[in-house]
Order: sequence, then C-alpha cells, then structure tokens
Amino acid sequence: MRRVLRLPFSRRRLTRDVDDELAFHFATRIDQLVARGLTLEAARAEALKQFGDIESVRQGMLSLSEEREAAARRATVLSDVRQDLTYGIRTLRRGAAFTGLVVGGLALGIGANATIFSLIDAMLLRQLPVTKPEELVAVGDPENVTSSGYGTPSAELFSYPLYRDVHDNNQVFSGVVATGPASRLDVRVERGMAEPEHPNGRFVSGNYFSVLGVRAAVGTTLDSSDDAPGALARATISHGYWTRRFQGDSTVVGRAITVNGAGVVITGVGPPAFTGEVVGSTTDIWLPIPTHDLLRPNERILDNRRAGWLLLLGRTKPGLTLEQVKQGLIPVIESSIRSNVSSRDDIVALNTRGLTYAVSSGARGLSSVRPAFAAPLVALMIGVALLLCIVCVNVANLLLARGIARRREMSLRLALGANRSRIVRQLLTEGMLLALVSGTAAVLVGWWGSKALLALASEGKPVSLALGPSAPVLAFTFALSLGSVVLFGLVPALRSSRVDLASALRAQSRSVAQGARFGVWLIAGQVAVSLVLVAGASMLTRSLRAIQSTELGLDRDHLIVADLDITTPGYSADRLATAVHALRDRVMEVPGVVDVTYSENGLFTGTDWSTSLAVPGFTARIPEDSITSQDLAGAGYARAIGARVIAGRDLEPRDEGVLPRVVMVNESFARFYFAGRDPVGQFIRFDDSVHVQIVGVVADIRGQSLQAPEARRARRIYIPFLHAVDPGNFGQPDNLRLLVRTSGDPAALLQRVRREIVAVDAALTLDDIRPLSALVRVSIRQERLVARIATALGVLALLLAGIGLYGVTTYTIARRRNEIGVRLALGARGLDIGRMVLRDVLRPVALGLVVGLPLAIVAMRLLQQHLIDAAPDAGSVAIAIAVLVASAGVAGAAPAVQATRIDPLTALRAD
Amino acid sequence: MLDPDGGLLRGTLDVLILKALTWGPRHGYAVAEWVKGVTDGDLLVEEGPLYTALHRLEKSGWLSSEWGYSENNRRAKYYQLTRTGRAQLRAEVGAWERYVRAVGKALSAPSTAPS
Repeated sequence: MRRVLRLPFSRRRLTRDVDDELAFHFATRIDQLVARGLTLEAARAEALKQFGDIESVRQGMLSLSEEREAAARRATVLSDVRQDLTYGIRTLRRGAAFTGLVVGGLALGIGANATIFSLIDAMLLRQLPVTKPEELVAVGDPENVTSSGYGTPSAELFSYPLYRDVHDNNQVFSGVVATGPASRLDVRVERGMAEPEHPNGRFVSGNYFSVLGVRAAVGTTLDSSDDAPGALARATISHGYWTRRFQGDSTVVGRAITVNGAGVVITGVGPPAFTGEVVGSTTDIWLPIPTHDLLRPNERILDNRRAGWLLLLGRTKPGLTLEQVKQGLIPVIESSIRSNVSSRDDIVALNTRGLTYAVSSGARGLSSVRPAFAAPLVALMIGVALLLCIVCVNVANLLLARGIARRREMSLRLALGANRSRIVRQLLTEGMLLALVSGTAAVLVGWWGSKALLALASEGKPVSLALGPSAPVLAFTFALSLGSVVLFGLVPALRSSRVDLASALRAQSRSVAQGARFGVWLIAGQVAVSLVLVAGASMLTRSLRAIQSTELGLDRDHLIVADLDITTPGYSADRLATAVHALRDRVMEVPGVVDVTYSENGLFTGTDWSTSLAVPGFTARIPEDSITSQDLAGAGYARAIGARVIAGRDLEPRDEGVLPRVVMVNESFARFYFAGRDPVGQFIRFDDSVHVQIVGVVADIRGQSLQAPEARRARRIYIPFLHAVDPGNFGQPDNLRLLVRTSGDPAALLQRVRREIVAVDAALTLDDIRPLSALVRVSIRQERLVARIATALGVLALLLAGIGLYGVTTYTIARRRNEIGVRLALGARGLDIGRMVLRDVLRPVALGLVVGLPLAIVAMRLLQQHLIDAAPDAGSVAIAIAVLVASAGVAGAAPAVQATRIDPLTALRAD
Repeated sequence: MLDPDGGLLRGTLDVLILKALTWGPRHGYAVAEWVKGVTDGDLLVEEGPLYTALHRLEKSGWLSSEWGYSENNRRAKYYQLTRTGRAQLRAEVGAWERYVRAVGKALSAPSTAPS
C-alpha cells in the first residue's frame, strides 16, 4: 500500500477523504448491527446515535486535515530548498575551475560597473545628508563654489550685504544660508605650536546648521547669535576632523584655538556623515561669515557690495517649484543691487549686461568638479557596461557548454521520474548561488576599484568623496549580478530541461548545429563590442596626445611656478616691491636659473581675472565685447617666460613703482579691438577717466589651460605688477606667482629655488612650487585618466573576447572530432583541416567587424559631441580593426594548429 | 476521570489510541472495537471524538496514515504509529502507571487522623 504519487493539494480531495473515512465507519457499523438482527433503518439510527454529532466532528476532521496538509507542504518546500542549495554548492565546488572562471569573470565585469557607478552615485546622484534635501535650492553659480571676485555686483556670486537683503526680504524660502570659501587657514590647535595646520574651512551664516537640519554630535553648532557683529568668534568642527586631529576628545567643546592669529572658540562637533555642502571636498571647520574680516584683515569684504564670494542655499516653502522660486527671488535681488549701486561703471554695466540668475536644485550640494567629471563618468559607465556584455557572453558560453555536458545527467534524472520544474528550480538555485558569490566579489572589486580610481583622479588636486558600499551601489551590483546569471543561466537551464530523452541518453549527440549558430552570433557580438571599445580608446588616446602637444607659446619645459601668499603679511606697495625684487635677485643667483619674473595669475594655477574696458574707435556689439582677461605682470615678463613680443616692447622696470598707465596686450586683443591698425601707442580707457597706453603686443600664449580659450579669455592685457597705489582704479595684487626660467630640467632646481625663496622674508609663505609641466599635467588629469581607463577597457575587451574565441573554437573542434576524423580518413590533409577551422573562426570575427564598424563610428561621434574635441578619424578605426583581427588570429591559431594534429583513428573512435 | 456511562476524557483517549496501534496499522473502526473488546466493554469509546482524536494525533505527528482496502474491499484510512508516536506512548504509559500507583496508595491507606 505504498503511496507512489503525491497528488496536488485540493480541498475537494480532503473533503472526499474525510467523507470516505466516515462512510467506511458507518457502513461497517451498520453491517455489524444488521448482523445482530436490527433492520436497516434501526441499524442506521443506532449507528448515528452511537457516533454523536456527526456534522461538528466532520468539520473538526476537515480543518485538522487542512492544517496538517499545509504544515506538510511547508516542510517539503523548506527541505527542497535546502536540498537544492546543498546540491548546488556541491556541484559548484566540484567544477571549481568552471565556478572560478564564471565568478572571476563576473566579479571583474560587474565590479568595474560597480566602480564607476559608485563614483557616479557619490558625485552625481547622492543627496546631501541633511533634512529633506529635495527642498534645497542653490542660488548662484555652483561653479563659483571656491571662487571670489570683485566687480559689478552679480547674482552668480553674492556679497554679504546682498545675502542679508535676500535673507530679510524674500518670500520663497523658509530659511536661506550663505556659504563661502575660506582660502588657506593657519590653525594652531595648541598654544605655542610652531607650524600651523591648514584644515579646509568654509564661512557660513549663523543659520547654516539649523536650516540644513544638521545637529551637533558633541556640543552645539553655530547659530544665529554668531551673526551679530562683534560676537565672540566661534567655530564648529567636522566629525572627521575631530576624530583625526582631536582623537574624539569631548573636551574639545569650548576649547580656544587660534585661526590666522585670532582666538576662536569651538562650539562643538558636527555629525559623522556630514562633510559640508561642497561635493568633491570635505570641510573640516565652519566659521561664521562675520569673522571673515577678523581672520583676513587685509581683505575686508564683509560690507563691500562689490565683493562677491558667497553662494546661497535656501529651503523652499512647501508647494513652490524651482521656477517660482527663481521668479520670486529676481525682484528681491534686483532691487537690492540697483538701489545700492554707486559706481557709474557698475550702473552702466548693469544696464547693458543685466543680471544673470542661477537658481538650481541644491539637493545634491554644490560642486565645481561635477561638470568636469559628469560627461567622462557617463562615458566610462557606457564603456564598462559594454565590457560587461563581453564578460557575459563568455559566461553564457561557459554555462551553455556545461549545460550541454550535463544533458546526460539531466536526461537520466528526468527518466527516473524527476519533476521537470524541480530540475529547472535546482538549476536556478545554482544560478542564484553563482550570482550571490559573484555579486559579493563584485562589491569588493567595486569598492577597491572606486577608491583606486578616485586616488588616480585626485592627482594634483585632491578630490574627496564619501565612497563606500551605499544602498544604491549594493542594489545595483546585486541586480546586475542576478540579471547576468539568470539571463545567461536561465537559457541553458530551460534548454537542458527540454531535452529529448531518447537522443540525449544515446552516447552520441550530433545536434550541435543550433548551439553552434548561437555561439557564432555571440562571438560576433563580442567582436563588435570590442571594436567599439578599442576604437573609442584609440580616439581618446589620440585626442589626448594632440592636447598634450599643444603649442603653448612659451618655454613650457623650463619653467617653475612658485605660489606665494602675500595677503597675510599685508604688505604696503613699497614693501611688496622690496620683497619681490629681493626674491627675484636672490633666485637669479641660483646656478641654472636663466630668468625670473612674476605675475598675479601665474601659469596654469587655475586663477584668472577679467576686467571691462572701452577702446576708443571700437564699438561693442554685445556686453561680452567689453570684457577682457587681465594679468599683473613683472618687468621683462614676456622675455622671461619665452613668449614672443611681436610689436612694441615688453614691460620694463621703468613701468614699475609708478601709477599704472602703460599696458602690454596680446595678439588676440590687438586683432579684436584694433583690427588692422597698429595698437602700439594707442590708448584704452578703464572706468571714466583712467587712460592707459599700449606699449607692446605679445604673441598669444596658452597660460590657463591646454584647451583653446573662449573669445573673451583669449584676449588679455598685462598691467605692471608693482605699481604705486592707485585708489579707485587698479588695486594691489592679491597673489604673487614667481616664474623661474631654467636652462636645464626645472625639477632638479626645485629644492634649491624653494630654499632661496623661503630665506628671503619670514612673513612670506610659499604655498606651492612646481614645474610648469607638472601643473599642465594636473590641468588635464581628467582627460588623461579617461584615456587610460578607456585603454584599459579596450585591452580587457580584447583579452576577454580572445579568451572567449579560444574557448568556443576549442569546444567546437572537440565536438566535431568525429567529423574531422572522417574527413581525415577520406583523404583531407592536416593543413586543410587547419584552414577549415581558421575559416570558421574568422567568419564570426568578420561578421562582428561588419556589425561593429557602424556602431564604432556612432560611438566616436558621441564622444566627439560630449567629451572631446577631436573628430572621429579613420586612423583610430583602422588601428582598432587591425588589433582585433590580430587578436582573433592569435586566439584561433592555437586550436587550429591543434586541429591539424588530430589523429584520425582516435578521432573516429572518440565519443 | 471516568464518567458514569464509561466515557473517557481526552488525554486518556489519546493514550488508548496510541496503544491500539502498537501491533500494526488499523483503521478508526478497528481502534474503537479494540478498545471496547480489550476492556470487556467497561470503556465505551465515543466514536465522534475518536475520529477527531485520530486526526489530531496525525497532525501532531504521532500517527501517519495511508489509504488502503479493508477485508471487504471498502476504501479505508489506516493509521499507524510514527517513531515519535511510539516514544510518546512510552512516556504516557509511564506517567499513567505512576499516577495509578500514587492514587492507589492513597486509596488503600489506613485512615490516620492528622496529629
């Protein structure tokens, strides 16, 4: 009485069973009573009486049966799952090489995607760790997050008085904060520290922490009492800074430290996750805006409406859209600016140029690096996604091959009565295990990779991001992992479960045709994708080389740029002149130094100034036409840096020390304002009354970046650096960059020059000193990084595609051994076999190239549109094709050679 | 413990059912007849509660069941003890014997007045 089949659960069956059981009882009882002599009716009545309440008993039996059935079913499912898992783990461990290849490949491919995605998440997607970040709106251009400037009041970079007006008069924000950069802070944490430290600081309004909804972890934060003029100077430090520098000591609350020589009391420590609103850098210390003038006494800008240095973050009132906020702010800003403007030049500028408003979402913080990295990150994301496709093809081939190898096992199990869905489920479980292991490995690869990539990207100028397995990154990684395995594991699973029992159990299985054709398409796909990646990498590399070899118009390989801080000492114009001349003379003494000059902006330092002017005889068509870049330069500037003077003369010592009334202009300037005429001797006008005369024209130099500058940045005037105080017109320089020309390798002289500079004046601090070539490299670090990664992706693609090709070819030969044996036996030569194999290898490659070529061209056009300046060129494509064909040849050669050596007898005998 | 008409309380019914199945699978009717027979009719098994008890014991995992055919070829549900059922039976028998001994001692003790 063995149960053979388990029937599906059904309430009808249970009811029937219960009724049958009761029916049996009554039938037997009635028989017994009838045998004792009762009539049928009497027997029935007696049986019912003896039984009791039949209906309630029946209900009780039924519900008990149902509960029992449900419990049994649950137990079976659990034991099935456990069985699947155990079997799956065992199978994967048995085929360790296979498992290793699949897990390794997926970990690499998915990990690469996780790497780029975590960078994208940290830099482009993640919202600030504040209360309701979606309510925040940034006012002002986030590109200015570390800038400051003087000039006509603008709505792209706010002055403090303008912020206060917006704060007091707006109707759209429930709270609005201001935040501005703190350049180089000298912080002494303990009394009597010899060398100060330089934590990253930001000036913020008193309501900063309360509007953002950030609470102190220890102590309190800055609050609105810090906005009162004359308030005690306080600061809040970040959690990271607290842990690093103060070792998490809670007595830091109320401690007095020295910032730029002034006493500042620490209010408390921010929460662990909060590093400020600037994405790409971490803030260590927040200072109240009113302390700015205290900490930078030579740069008093608090009440100056022409000093723009703040960006605003406002929390919108409920129900307002971004556009409404913008429209609500425009009148407030406009009226504040217009009713307070004094200089006539500003009035004119406002009337002609108007005000540009920048209002954008602040949920993701402010960043100046984001625009630079956004396009490359997206391009890389596409690149690694393509790489993943190649990896997945290899994984699919592996799983397919293994699926075919296991057909016999599957068919046997089916023949022995296994449930088809059970087999599929068990294969899926194996797939899940693979996905889980691969996903975990991929997370690790992604984490390590993103840290490494960020370190590479930070070359020269650190970019700091909070990287770490965050929920989106984990979800992304495991979703990809699951998707890849299920997609490429499900196919073989379904196919192998649909196997035809008879033919599969037979020793020979000749029906490889369909599988082979699918494999051909996969190989072709890999080749196509590889072509796209290699062509893209080739194009990026060529573009990079072109950029790197741009002619700068100066002696690029023999210059050192030294950045000195002259605002802290607060030199008078005379003292500055003495110091600068002393520096120049001292450095000139160093053997190997050929020339020394100085300027305000230096070369490739990332700072630049512009100014507006009027040229008599020139009519500006648009407001932009009146703007030109300016620099303050020392005597002999052009000669010292190796630039060519093409008309008139260079700036000379006689131009120094007096009111600045002569300038040198560059070629673009001359061409723009004086088309055709000789500019030397002509005058240009600044403000109302100041006229300066052009004494020379210098050939254009690329002194800011390797890329071609836009029009108003291309034209430039050079004003003497050391000039007498000229109140109302030209101010004193804010920065001093010493430019040192050497005869040999500038790197060799760095230390010596540094020593000489530092020895000149104790009050002067040397912020940085580097060869110009190093600064140039840093300026294109993003392009270099992208080109390097793209090349790595291209190489990886070739490698993986080559491995895939090799694998598939070997496999196909193995399966065709019989056929090959027959051919050999019928008189074919080894060479013929080799040629046949090679032809079969090259066919999918050719197909892939044909499909991939248009795709590669499209990709290159996209690169041109969004990323680089170069046009898609035939050279890149030709290189890519050549490399691919060569790789395919190499990958197919080994199996082909092997095929020529097949012994016909063993081939025919083989299974 | 015992009703005047020989009915049984639930716990006792369970142990009787378990005992009934010690010698092999039986259907519900056979269990009832066995109890009546083996106690010389002193114990009357209420048939309704008996079947409920059988299902309850099966749900608890002490009995397992199979469908089969009786002597006169009727479809009947046969119950048998599981391993845990056997263990449970041993435990219950032990408890019952201890209980009977204890009460027996109390009932046969000479009356002693509390001092």
